[in-house]
Amino acid sequence: MTDIRTESNAMEMIAISSAAEKNRRRNVRFRNIGIGFAGFLTLILVWKLSVNLLNVPSYILPAPEQVVVALWSGIAVPVSSPLGWYLPLWSTMSNALAGFLIGALLGLFFGSLMAEFRAVETALMPYAFALQSLPKVAIAPLIVIWCGFGDGSKIAMAALLAFFPMMVNTFAGMRAAEVERIELMKVLSASRLETYRLVKLPSAAPYIFAGLDMGIVYALLGTIVAEFLGAQEGMGVAITKAQAVTDVAGVFAALVVLGITGILLHLIVRRVERSLIHWADRGKR
Amino acid sequence: MTFAVDAPTAAGIGAAAGAKMQTARSPLIAVKDVVKIYPTVAGEAVLALDHVNLNVGEGEFVCLVGPSGCGKTTLLRLLAGLDTSDHGTSSLAGKALNGPSEEVGVVFQQANLLPWFTVMENVLLPLRVGGARKTEQLIDQIKALLKVAGLEGFENKYPYELSGGMQQRAAIVRALARDPQLLLMDEPFGALDALTRERMNAELQRIWMASGKTVVLITHSIDEAIFLGDRIIVMSPRPGRIVRELKVDLPRPRVATEMLGNETHTALAREIRMLLE
Repeated sequence: MTDIRTESNAMEMIAISSAAEKNRRRNVRFRNIGIGFAGFLTLILVWKLSVNLLNVPSYILPAPEQVVVALWSGIAVPVSSPLGWYLPLWSTMSNALAGFLIGALLGLFFGSLMAEFRAVETALMPYAFALQSLPKVAIAPLIVIWCGFGDGSKIAMAALLAFFPMMVNTFAGMRAAEVERIELMKVLSASRLETYRLVKLPSAAPYIFAGLDMGIVYALLGTIVAEFLGAQEGMGVAITKAQAVTDVAGVFAALVVLGITGILLHLIVRRVERSLIHWADRGKR
Repeated sequence: MTFAVDAPTAAGIGAAAGAKMQTARSPLIAVKDVVKIYPTVAGEAVLALDHVNLNVGEGEFVCLVGPSGCGKTTLLRLLAGLDTSDHGTSSLAGKALNGPSEEVGVVFQQANLLPWFTVMENVLLPLRVGGARKTEQLIDQIKALLKVAGLEGFENKYPYELSGGMQQRAAIVRALARDPQLLLMDEPFGALDALTRERMNAELQRIWMASGKTVVLITHSIDEAIFLGDRIIVMSPRPGRIVRELKVDLPRPRVATEMLGNETHTALAREIRMLLE
């Protein structure tokens, strides 16, 4: 009798403590959202106050509400309207994503090749470092000469910028594969391809995702830079157009759109990463 | 199959008719005059194994003990096909061992399960790579082994959801997946706490008795060696040599609590300790 009572008491206590833990975590989350929101409001307030108190003209720094109006004027239109954000964003995004895909795949390929074959590493590493330390934005004019003012130069630029973090991270990740795991495959007489596919590539996955995370933001950057140099459509064009008529609020609004897009892309990559490599960092043995 | 005349177990045949392991014995591994030299980073060469001779009978459980750097891991790596010797030969069932073999299963110091695979995928890995045969019979056998190892119901869990002891048991099942003749274990329980380790020893004994495999196990623990081994090989450090072979005449299955204060056990433990000092 007593035993059963103690047992149920223990179960109750467990239930209570787990409920308390859940509660605590929810409170922390709410508090964090609150802090973030308060910080945002403070920023807007300081911005608004300084514009008003210092009498900053709107062609230097527009007031927050002007940016909101400019932002809204691009949202509250039909999707196919040339005045909306939708068309330029779609153009920029599709080029950035296509370039990202190409750059990421090439980075994965060359990174793997370099990690797997010492000769390839020796042959390519100097160029990889040279190109890596070059400000790649400076290559943009060349790319435009080679690929023209159309989508080609945007995709190429996005691919170029997405390529490096992917290549470097794939290389580093594969080299970081644990020796014991590779020896296990050796003991099993596994082929080189089997070891690559079943051990080295998964070992490199956390690195590869870090590369993807960087790469996707870089691809967006590359596309915008190429658009600045000459394009018919895209967010870069939207910014240039607004700048041409000193519509600074419009420039700000475009930057806000790009910022939100970047954050969303980053969150998507993180989400995919968490579901795909749930095993990472959980117990080494 | 060739039979070495000087097989240390040959004398045991017939003498102990009751012990099931001893009647089936014939030398499975023959290591002859093996020398292994390692170059160090500093440039000087280290003699890791100095003319080592070792015979292991079929179905025998041999434990290698010795201080760090005595070359026991080197010897195991040679048998696993991860290294090659600089002199001498080693053979398995009469065939020279020059590289990894289907007939050798290896358990590492760490469980070394692939974290991106489930327990089932991990233990089936040996049938998936290296052009191994994947028969229904082998798969059934693996499932039976998982049950013996107490991993039933955990097939679809990931390694990080398992305790250290369970991970190491899964690693043992994986090493047995191809139904090899020989099981090599390099301090398999070194990373576990003392109590878990004792339980794992009992489980390993059970798995070994059920499978009848030949086992070569490296350990730092004298108690573990006496508990598990039919024979204990004591090695000396630099250059790695075999200094003594000791037979463990204790009935199976051995029970940890009965080992405490057992005369044979105490005498063996004392002798090994003195050899290691």
